[in-house]
Amino acid sequence: MLIIECPYCGRRDQSEFSNGGEAHVKRPDGSSEISDREWSEYVFVRSNTKGIFYERWVHSHGCRKWFNCVRDTSTDEILKTYRIDDTRPKLKDFKNLVDTPSGEPELGSGNFTVKK
Amino acid sequence: MKELKTNSSSFVNFNQKISFLFDGKKIFGFKGDTIASALLRNNINLVGRSFKYHRPRGIYTCGIEEPNALVQIISEYSEPNTRATIKKIYEGMEVESQNRWPSLDNDIGSINSLFSPLFSAGFYYKTFMGPHKSFWKKIYEPIIRRAAGLGKPPKEFRALSSHLHHNVDIVIVGAGLNGLLAAKSLINTNHDILLVDFDNHLGGIINNSAKISSIDNQSPQEWVKSTVEAIEKSKNIKILKNTLVTTYNYINHLIAVEDKHVGSRPSENKVNNILHKIRTDHVILCNGHIERFLSFQNNDLPGIMLASSFEKYICRYGTLPSKEPVIFSNNSNSNSLIYSIINQGYKPKAYIDSRSGENIEPELFDLIRKHDIPLYTNSQIKGVSGGKRIEKILIEDSTGGLSEIHSDFLCVSGGINPDVHLFTQSKGLLDWDEKDLTYKPSKPFQPTITLGSASGQFNLEKVSDEINEKLKIFKNKVLDTQIVLNTKESYQIEKLWEISPHKSSMWSKSFIDLQNDVTTKDIRQAISEGFDRIEHLKRYTTNSMGTDQGKISSINALGIVSDLLDKKVNEVGTTIYRPPYAPLSFAAIAGRNSYEFYDPERKSPIHQWHIDNGAIFEDVGQWKRPWYFPLNSSESMHDAVQRESKNVREFAGVLDGSTLGKIEIKGKDALSFMNLIYTNSFSKMKPGSARYALMLGEDGMVKDDGIISKISEEHFIATTTTGGAATVLGCMEEYAQTEWPNLNVYMNSITEQFATFNISGPKTREIMNKVFPEIDFSNDAFPFMTFQFHNYQDTQIRILRASFTGEMGYEIYIPSKNAAKIWDQLHSFGKDFGLIPYGTETMHLLRAEKGYIIIGQDTDGSITPIDLGLNWTIGKTKQDFLGKRSLTRTDTIRTDRKQLVGITPSNKEDQLTEGQHIILNQTIKTPTPMLGHITSSYQSPTLGHSFGLAVIKDGHSLIGTKAFASTPDQKTIPIEIVKPVFYDEENKRLVS
Amino acid sequence: MAKNAFNGHKDWPKMWRSPEPREFYDAIIIGGGGHGLGTAYYLAKEHGLKNIAVIEKGWLGGGNTGRNTTIIRSNYLWDDSAHLYEHSLKLWENLSSDLNYNVMFSQRGVMNLAHNEHDIKEIKRRISANNLNGIDSLWLSKEEIQKKVPIMNTDNLRYPVLGASYQPRGGTARHDAIAWGFAMRADEMGVDIIQNCEALQIKTKNGKIEGVETSKGFIRANKVGVVASGHSSVLAETAGIRLPLQSKPLQALVSEPIKPIIDTVVMSSAVHAYVSQSDKGELVIGAGTDSYNSFTQRGGFDIIEETIRAMVELYPVFGKMKMLRQWGGIVDICPDASPIISKSDIEGLFFNCGWGTGGFKATPGSANVFAHTIAKNEPHQINAAFSLERFVSGKLVDEHGAAAVAH
Repeated sequence: MLIIECPYCGRRDQSEFSNGGEAHVKRPDGSSEISDREWSEYVFVRSNTKGIFYERWVHSHGCRKWFNCVRDTSTDEILKTYRIDDTRPKLKDFKNLVDTPSGEPELGSGNFTVKK
Repeated sequence: MKELKTNSSSFVNFNQKISFLFDGKKIFGFKGDTIASALLRNNINLVGRSFKYHRPRGIYTCGIEEPNALVQIISEYSEPNTRATIKKIYEGMEVESQNRWPSLDNDIGSINSLFSPLFSAGFYYKTFMGPHKSFWKKIYEPIIRRAAGLGKPPKEFRALSSHLHHNVDIVIVGAGLNGLLAAKSLINTNHDILLVDFDNHLGGIINNSAKISSIDNQSPQEWVKSTVEAIEKSKNIKILKNTLVTTYNYINHLIAVEDKHVGSRPSENKVNNILHKIRTDHVILCNGHIERFLSFQNNDLPGIMLASSFEKYICRYGTLPSKEPVIFSNNSNSNSLIYSIINQGYKPKAYIDSRSGENIEPELFDLIRKHDIPLYTNSQIKGVSGGKRIEKILIEDSTGGLSEIHSDFLCVSGGINPDVHLFTQSKGLLDWDEKDLTYKPSKPFQPTITLGSASGQFNLEKVSDEINEKLKIFKNKVLDTQIVLNTKESYQIEKLWEISPHKSSMWSKSFIDLQNDVTTKDIRQAISEGFDRIEHLKRYTTNSMGTDQGKISSINALGIVSDLLDKKVNEVGTTIYRPPYAPLSFAAIAGRNSYEFYDPERKSPIHQWHIDNGAIFEDVGQWKRPWYFPLNSSESMHDAVQRESKNVREFAGVLDGSTLGKIEIKGKDALSFMNLIYTNSFSKMKPGSARYALMLGEDGMVKDDGIISKISEEHFIATTTTGGAATVLGCMEEYAQTEWPNLNVYMNSITEQFATFNISGPKTREIMNKVFPEIDFSNDAFPFMTFQFHNYQDTQIRILRASFTGEMGYEIYIPSKNAAKIWDQLHSFGKDFGLIPYGTETMHLLRAEKGYIIIGQDTDGSITPIDLGLNWTIGKTKQDFLGKRSLTRTDTIRTDRKQLVGITPSNKEDQLTEGQHIILNQTIKTPTPMLGHITSSYQSPTLGHSFGLAVIKDGHSLIGTKAFASTPDQKTIPIEIVKPVFYDEENKRLVS
Repeated sequence: MAKNAFNGHKDWPKMWRSPEPREFYDAIIIGGGGHGLGTAYYLAKEHGLKNIAVIEKGWLGGGNTGRNTTIIRSNYLWDDSAHLYEHSLKLWENLSSDLNYNVMFSQRGVMNLAHNEHDIKEIKRRISANNLNGIDSLWLSKEEIQKKVPIMNTDNLRYPVLGASYQPRGGTARHDAIAWGFAMRADEMGVDIIQNCEALQIKTKNGKIEGVETSKGFIRANKVGVVASGHSSVLAETAGIRLPLQSKPLQALVSEPIKPIIDTVVMSSAVHAYVSQSDKGELVIGAGTDSYNSFTQRGGFDIIEETIRAMVELYPVFGKMKMLRQWGGIVDICPDASPIISKSDIEGLFFNCGWGTGGFKATPGSANVFAHTIAKNEPHQINAAFSLERFVSGKLVDEHGAAAVAH
């Protein structure tokens, strides 16, 4: 179980939170000029990055506030949490541990045991 | 019995004799004995039969790494697969050996040994297919399944386990020499520490071997005693004994299980075990090492044991499994065993070392010469033989000459491995050490420190140095512990994984995994078939997939494979050690969280009244809702529902609707927010009025419904379905915080703060006039779909004129603590007018007669408001609301989508059945195209026949036509497709 | 077998070669799991394609194929799903003899329990739809359940068992065996199975497939099929295609082996617990997905707790059982819990993914229709509904079951 730092309450056990999927997804404003395809992108498609991933969590069993998080999905390491209205930290602030889209990080995936 | 008198480190109390049953025979041991030590004390070595070949098996080790001695504890609900080497005996314990019939001595399964050449690796993939595929199902598989498994199924057992959470700074896993020293150096520092050990006596290698002569000028036992006392007295360290750390998760999360009844019969009403869930900032792994065996012909016979385990039996349990065992080793770790045996006044029958003379320690040579022990260097055991016990050992000496020794006991040592299970579970990486021929922890991923043999540091004299170096980040006390050893301890090993047999045959077996009966031949065969990747090899041969996860053998397999493939061991890799470290009890994992504690029972404020009045309940999510109120025990549900429904239409009925969600929405921008969330437009609504509304997903499908009461432009109350309450609130909060944070709006759940009573029926107005005489319920003063606040005694209530049954009615909202009062008043005045309570089933029936939908029953996530004929809920001029754009996608605007219709049987005596489908043809010929299905159907007391709602393709156009409905017994009945309303289509009764 | 027994089992032929990749293939299948290897098998066997490669970044069958709980059934709700899974089930029934390799398909029945009125309605609707589609599916009363599974506690539960759906022809199979069987026979027909070969980028030009850049160099191809479960969307991105998938951990566990105690498969979605007993005697228990995206194949202990506490209540004899080991995989979750077996906007690029938690049962069926889709450049009738287009048009095939519990 992860430990997540709620920007409002501090470090808490993952069991207090619910995952909210990809962060920084802008909802098209509802005008009908958007094509079916563009609208379906909003409704159904989200990034699924292996590596540095911007996502949201909500402190369901706590302050019930939504916030953003940068987590490395190749190791589950949480790199930063920040408020919903904070500016999104740039990618270069964090190092992607996978060199290729489906690659394994050198350390931390748990998918192999011997040092390469 | 072979109890020893001189031994000072034994944990056995020779003054307390204990008897237990093993396979029906009474065995005597002492308090502190394990089943294994007691059996060995009685010269019993045969304890089980192997999985595949049913070969006789004995006790191989003295610890949790035991592959063979798994027994069934009959006196503890027949708990299967218990390690006899760990389980301590108590008076009257009943133990049975496993996997044998009719008895351990005469096991019919041993015939498998005869056929064993056929049972090579993966044999079942290549056969059991012919002559016809039914043979697999009817003959082969049942036989295989009956032969499978080790222990017999246990008895039913309600767990007496609980969970304990810890949040500490440091966890020290293992309280052996390194663990105790690490703890000692951290006494009264600034860190909150947990010291965890699997044993009930701390000390590890100190207790388990004769390696150490003195520590800081104290005897080892004295030192342990005084150190433990100091730790117990400290302010910052807590000790958990009998606690095994099974899992090291991410992040910094340890699972450990504590046995609360070691050495005694588990209590029927006290906690049996505790699952510790530990969060920590640092983990210090001092969990030691595991010895590995060697593969040679018949290396599985009873009478063969790991060298360090033999020593453990002497030092811990004061028993000598044999007075003159033969010892075979390729490393220096077994030196202390020789020393221990000599210390007890005996000597090994022979010592065989595969190492060349110059690598063997001079101290060892001295010891051997002094006691005249037959010595073979540069020699190997080619194989052993015997029936149910080892009898002869075949030795090949340094010249290549062969000789045989008669012996009934053989100690083997193939080297030692740091116990890296937890380290790899933490996602740390290992590295192969070519000198010590083992995997050692290399790069940690989490804040993990390893000490002692767990880190591959085998030199006992250097422990202080390592601790001082690795723990200085904790500002620990610098140690200068003086350790004096009995045997010169500089670990030395020469590579040896397996020895080929002298004479090979189809039946000769050299085991690489004892528990799963995997032989070195299987490994070779697997590689020749192309399974040369270690993961494939493991799955194909099932090597290391037993309950011991190959603790004493998996490294050997890697060594053999690396030689066969001519690859470095690092390149071969290892398979991933999976948690838990040792099998973890389901009862411990479940803790108290089953049965009454599985899920909370959510109850309405007047739940007790329902019970007192005979309600039968149904589960709606976590809620208990009255389903129906039978008059007495002989009234069936069908009759009760018919009676209740008739009563509501003729007189009045009241439903406890408290479980439906209620959300209060407030703020300057509440109106804009509500307009975005729901399909309806609330802008033109007058304050004090209410409206039925739908909430869609962004995919345009109906997700929830409710009634929205507009108190003002800045204040709304929304109801939701019972099951959707949390989701709707969550959705509102998500959009308010993340999508439209510019809107000034906030919301809160008030579901539990208020009770809701739905009263309806032609007599309702008269009843309400009696209960609330000051309120004007006339049509002009209180129109349909409006609400009013009123003071009632010492509280405030809200009455909304709305009804789900189609009769005129009201919804009364009262603070929960006052709910019972009003409910009682309603019934006390109402009974003169024929008021009865009714349950959810009647509510379903009555609303269906009006064609009102129930979310999740008439909808399934694939239906839009237009499909339901609820276009009127959509605000035509609204720019945007959740899901709006989806309503105009190509598939969603089709006019022939599944649409809500009504269904009646053409023959009025026929019964419609919910869940059945509407089809065009009278006879069913599969696959039959289905138009749709019946979402709700009931027997209507008002109509006098069965009726239903259905969603069918192009439903709106098909109204007025005929079709068929399938029945549960695969027939059909003719039906008519009608408008989805069966009662009071003009709503005259509703607005009367 | 007997002949080899006398020979010390030294002469079994290699199951498959370890070739180096050629410069060009008619079709490359990315992903060496059951679905991918099966696709190559059917492409060679039924469509006569000879020049095919399967590239796998790890060891074949090492992904979800080697990690699932092996449940096979076809009793899905919608026509399109029912036909797809039933197609697969029929292939399973003859797979051992088709491959001459025992996949140990055991048709011991699959039960889905109902714990409340809503479950009952949902299940009965599904049974009716199954029967009309010719799929064997029946309702079991509580008493009938107790006869089939005597160890089940049906009444003394927080959510008592009220009934169940039952598919007699469903069951389990040995997961590794189908991967190895497909691999062996595909290799026999000339398919190159290239392990330790990671796909780095799917290369396209002017809307057409060019080939795959891999860790063993660039390989040219006319057609590329991506069958990489959790990594499918990651690879799709390299071709500029965004798939509506999210990869999450799915955990499972086995108990220690014991003598036979349960001989059918029992699933309960209400309490997140499904169990069967393997031929080795181990109880194979499946848990739910963790809620967050991850490629680590690990999840939290809370998921295990969730399943086990339901298990010990449903089956009181499990109280004394012990968990032997737990593990995880990566499942690609699709918005409507139905797979994507589809062409794409790039000519020659095909996807077979989005199976989420339910891919194993469909292995042969999925491979079969995907091979058709690739060979013929058009979906088979059976997988036509599972195209990427459905997310644009809105014609989803929602197999989550009915939406939120009502009233």
